[in-house]
Amino acid sequence: MIQETGTGLYSGILRFYALNDVRKYMKELLERYQRDYDKSSNVIGSLLRTEGGKGMEVIMSKGWAKVGAMFVDITDPEKGGMELTFQLVTEMKPRIAKTEEVLKTFESVEALPIPTDATFLLYLHSGIPERLVIDTTEPKPESYAFKGEYATIE
Amino acid sequence: MLEVTVVIEDVDAARLSEKATENAASNYALNVSLAERERTTDHLVLSYSMELTSQPQTARFKVSGSATLKGTRDEIKGGITAPDSNRPPPVLLLIYERIYSTVYLLAGALKVPHPMPNLLKKGS
Repeated sequence: MIQETGTGLYSGILRFYALNDVRKYMKELLERYQRDYDKSSNVIGSLLRTEGGKGMEVIMSKGWAKVGAMFVDITDPEKGGMELTFQLVTEMKPRIAKTEEVLKTFESVEALPIPTDATFLLYLHSGIPERLVIDTTEPKPESYAFKGEYATIE
Repeated sequence: MLEVTVVIEDVDAARLSEKATENAASNYALNVSLAERERTTDHLVLSYSMELTSQPQTARFKVSGSATLKGTRDEIKGGITAPDSNRPPPVLLLIYERIYSTVYLLAGALKVPHPMPNLLKKGS
């Protein structure tokens, strides 16, 4: 299976050892969404410009038929694929906006009185950072250090 | 599975005696230190420093850099924990294994004894 386009949207819980790592992760997430959005919207934009004047009909397929529980396009793969890309772009907009908002207001989370040894559980729902648990029950492991004396003998 | 990436950031090699030869007995003392540089739940970056000094002192090698361990928390813990007080942590063996070829080549260029690939706890 090869991913054609779009972002793998993760739902799950991630643990971080530092709040700054949470911010860094969300920033990278946003950058990835933005890159994918730009890439997909460029494809749509380029097609609309090439087929100037025809409007949305160039990306809307008439070949969809409901087969079982899903829609299948067997007659117009080019427009079908383009319509999917358009749907993806449309769905990504609110996801990007929400992630941006979380990042912009993250300072208020950082201002909370957080115990120094706390770890953080970030809940992502379809790629959107929605909730954060400041976990004092599982502290960050102690900083690792090791010293030793060895020998290599013939 | 634990993945370990070792990067050499600095190497210093010195021939300490004109009398040194490649054919002399290859006995080296090795001082090592590992320190945490960065940690997340799926990776740990360590700074390492190794100093090999031949016995008698005819050559010295200092190698330092970073080792990145990627894996689950348990795999990382296993990588940095010595199995017992006489054996080094697995990550240390891996670092030594990765830097060994560099030290070996330098020893040849300096015409000093080549260190051995094994690593024994001093005094054992």
